[in-house]
Amino acid sequence: MKKEITLKNNEFIFTLFKEYYFKNIENLRPPLEMHNREYGIMTFDSRVIRHLSFSKLGNLKAYIIQNVPSDIFCSNAYYQFPTFPINEKGWKGADMIFDIDLNDLLLPCQKEHTFYICSNCHVVFRDLTKICSACQNTKILKNTIPCFRCINALKKETKNLTEFLKKDFGIKEENMEVSFSGNTGFHVVVFQSNYLMLDSKARSDIVGYIMGKNLSPESLGVRNDKHGYRIKIPLSGYSYGWRKRIVQKMKISEVSNDYLNKFIKKIGGYQSFKNEIDKIASDLGLKIDPQVTTDIHRIFRMVGSLNSKSGLSKIICNNLDKFDPMIDSCFFDDDKNVDISLNTPLKFSIKGKKYNLDKSISTVPVSVGVFLISKKLANIASCSS
Amino acid sequence: MSIILGKDDLAKYPFLEEAGNYIRETHFDLDEFNRSEFLHIIERASKRIEFELIQGKVFIDLEKYDIELFTFLVSLIIMNYINEDSAIKKFSLFEAMRVEKFLVSDLSKEKDLTRKNLLISKVFRDLFQLDVELDPKNNHLFKMNISDYLIRATSFNEEEWKLIGRAVDNGYVYLDGDETVRLIRYEIYNLMYNRIKNMNITKIPEQIKIHAVLIKNKLAPAIRYSHTTTDLPPCIKKALELLNKNENLPHSARFMLATYMLSSGKSVDDVVLLFQNAPDYNEKITKYQVEHLAGKKGSQTKYSVPACSKLVNENLCYATIDCRGITNPIQFGRKNRK
Repeated sequence: MKKEITLKNNEFIFTLFKEYYFKNIENLRPPLEMHNREYGIMTFDSRVIRHLSFSKLGNLKAYIIQNVPSDIFCSNAYYQFPTFPINEKGWKGADMIFDIDLNDLLLPCQKEHTFYICSNCHVVFRDLTKICSACQNTKILKNTIPCFRCINALKKETKNLTEFLKKDFGIKEENMEVSFSGNTGFHVVVFQSNYLMLDSKARSDIVGYIMGKNLSPESLGVRNDKHGYRIKIPLSGYSYGWRKRIVQKMKISEVSNDYLNKFIKKIGGYQSFKNEIDKIASDLGLKIDPQVTTDIHRIFRMVGSLNSKSGLSKIICNNLDKFDPMIDSCFFDDDKNVDISLNTPLKFSIKGKKYNLDKSISTVPVSVGVFLISKKLANIASCSS
Repeated sequence: MSIILGKDDLAKYPFLEEAGNYIRETHFDLDEFNRSEFLHIIERASKRIEFELIQGKVFIDLEKYDIELFTFLVSLIIMNYINEDSAIKKFSLFEAMRVEKFLVSDLSKEKDLTRKNLLISKVFRDLFQLDVELDPKNNHLFKMNISDYLIRATSFNEEEWKLIGRAVDNGYVYLDGDETVRLIRYEIYNLMYNRIKNMNITKIPEQIKIHAVLIKNKLAPAIRYSHTTTDLPPCIKKALELLNKNENLPHSARFMLATYMLSSGKSVDDVVLLFQNAPDYNEKITKYQVEHLAGKKGSQTKYSVPACSKLVNENLCYATIDCRGITNPIQFGRKNRK
C-alpha cells in the first residue's frame, strides 16, 4: 500500500515536471562555457547519472525533455574532458560557490515549521526523532516550510554575503549571481577570473574569513606571554577587513599601544579581549555551508531546473528585496486542482494565498499539491490509506 | 626613458635577467676561470657554499657587483658538479634566504619610490608573475591580489598566514615588506634549484672542478638519527626519513616530531640534534623552540603530541595496520610494548 502511494505521488510529480520542462525549457540557464562543464541528473527512481556533457544548449534541452529528471545539476568546475572519470577530467578551474541554508541560521521560529517525516510510512513528527514509532524505520527526513521571517533572514544573510564579497574580496557585481536554491536557501556563484583557479585549501581559508573563524588577538597585534600580553600594532594597521570590524565594534577609537593597552586592561586582560573578539566574530561572521564552497568538483543545481524536494524552481534573483520564493519560483498552475491527503495539519502561504489545512482530504491548486507532496507532507488523495 | 637597475642591485640579485645580460656582454669564456686572477672568485664561491652547507648560516657578505655576479655563477657551477640533491636543496634554501634578507631591507628602507617600484617589478612581476603594488596610502605597505596571496600562504601552516588575520580590502591583502618577501621564499628556492639542475656545461674549468671536489669531500655524510625506528609510529618515521634526506619539513611536521620525542622521554638536547639535517638548521633557534615546546620557555606550557585526526588533516598521517585503535601517535609505542 505504501509503495503504491509513493508510486502515485511520483507519477503525479513526474507528469507535472514533464509538463514544466516542455513548456518552460527556456528557463534552463546554461552556465558559462557550458561545453566545459560536467552535468548530472537524478532520476525519479533515485539513480544519479553523472559525467554527462553537452556542447550545445539545444542538446541539453532535448535530453531533459526526453528524460525528465527529478533534479538537474551542473559542475562548478570547468573541465577539459567533462565526461571522463574525476581524476582524468583535466580540471581548468571552478566557480566559487556559496550556499546559505535555513538549517544553518538556527532561527527561533524554525521549530514552528519543521517536520520530521518517516521515509517509509510518511508519518510526520513535530519533534526530532530517530526512529518512527509507527513502523520502526530509522530513516527520518527533516523538512521545513520557510515562513516570511525565515525568508527575510535568508535574504539578509545573502545580502551580507554579497557585501562581504564586494567589499573585502573586490568581486564585481557583474561577476556574481544570486539565486534561490529552489528549497530553503540561496546560492551565490562567483565567476570572477582571479578566483577560479583557487584550490580547496585556499577556498577553505576564504570560508574561514567569511564565517569569522579563528580570529585571534595576535592578528590585532596582541600576543599572550608569561607576563600577560604584549602589544605590537601591525604595520598594516586596523583600517581593513576583520581588524577594522573588531576595532569599530569594540569602539577602540585610537590605534596606539597605550590606548589598546588601557582598553585590554579595562576589560580584564588577554583572555577577556580574546573572548570579546570571539563574540564579535561569531556575531558578524556569516552562516555559509563550508563544504559547498571548498568543493571544487561539485555538481550544483542548475538555474531554471526544478528542485524535487519542493517542486520550486531554482531561479536567479535580480532584486533580492522584492523576491518572494513562494511566489516567484513556483511555476505550476493555480487554475487546476488536485485532491490531497495531508500527513499533518499545516499553515502556510504560497503564491500569495494563505492556507490553513487540517489533516484530511483537501482540494488544492496543483501548485500547492506539488509543493506539499514534494515535501512529503501530503499524498495524492485517491491513494491515501 | 627606461629605468634600469643599479649595479648594486645586480650584486644582490644576480639571478635577474639583467645580471645574465651583463655576463653575456662581457663575452666571458668559462675557460678564463682557469686563469690565476679569477682564483679569488672561485675561492669566494667555495667559501659561500661551505658557509651555507657546512656551517648552516646565510652568507650575507656583499662585494662589488662584478665579483658578486661571477661568484654566483661559480657557486651554481660547483653545485651542479657536486650534483647531490640534498646539498643542492640546502644551498637553494640558503640562497633564497640570502635574497630575502636583501629584499626585505631594500623594500623596507628604500625611500626612492621609483627604485622600490622597479625592484618590485623585476623580482615579483618579471620572475614570479606576482603582481605586487605599493600601497599609495603607506609606502611601507604592499598590496597583492587575494588569490595570489592565498596560492602562496596556504602552504604555510602558521595561524598568522590565515586570511582572517590579515588586512584585507577590495580584493587585496596588505602586507609589510618582510611578509611580502617571505611569501616568495619557495619561489626563489625553486628558481635557484632549477637553475642548478638545468645547467648544461660541457666542460667545467679545471680550477672549479678542483674546488668542487674539495667541497664534496668536506660534506661529511649527514648525521643520521640513530633511533631504532621499528618502534616508531609511521608518521614519525616518515618525518625522520625526510630530515635524513635534508628535506625541509613543514612547521607542523617539526612540531609533531619534537613533541613526540619530548613525550617519549628524550632530552631537549637530543631533540635539537634530530633537526641538524634540516636545511635551515640553526642550533640556537631550534634549541629555543624545543625548550618552548618542553615548557621551559615562554608561557611554560608543555605542548602535547597532536592527535592522529589533526595529523590526518595536515597530511602528516601515514597510518599502517599497526596504528589500529590509536588516536595519538604517542599511543603507538605504548600499545606495542604491552
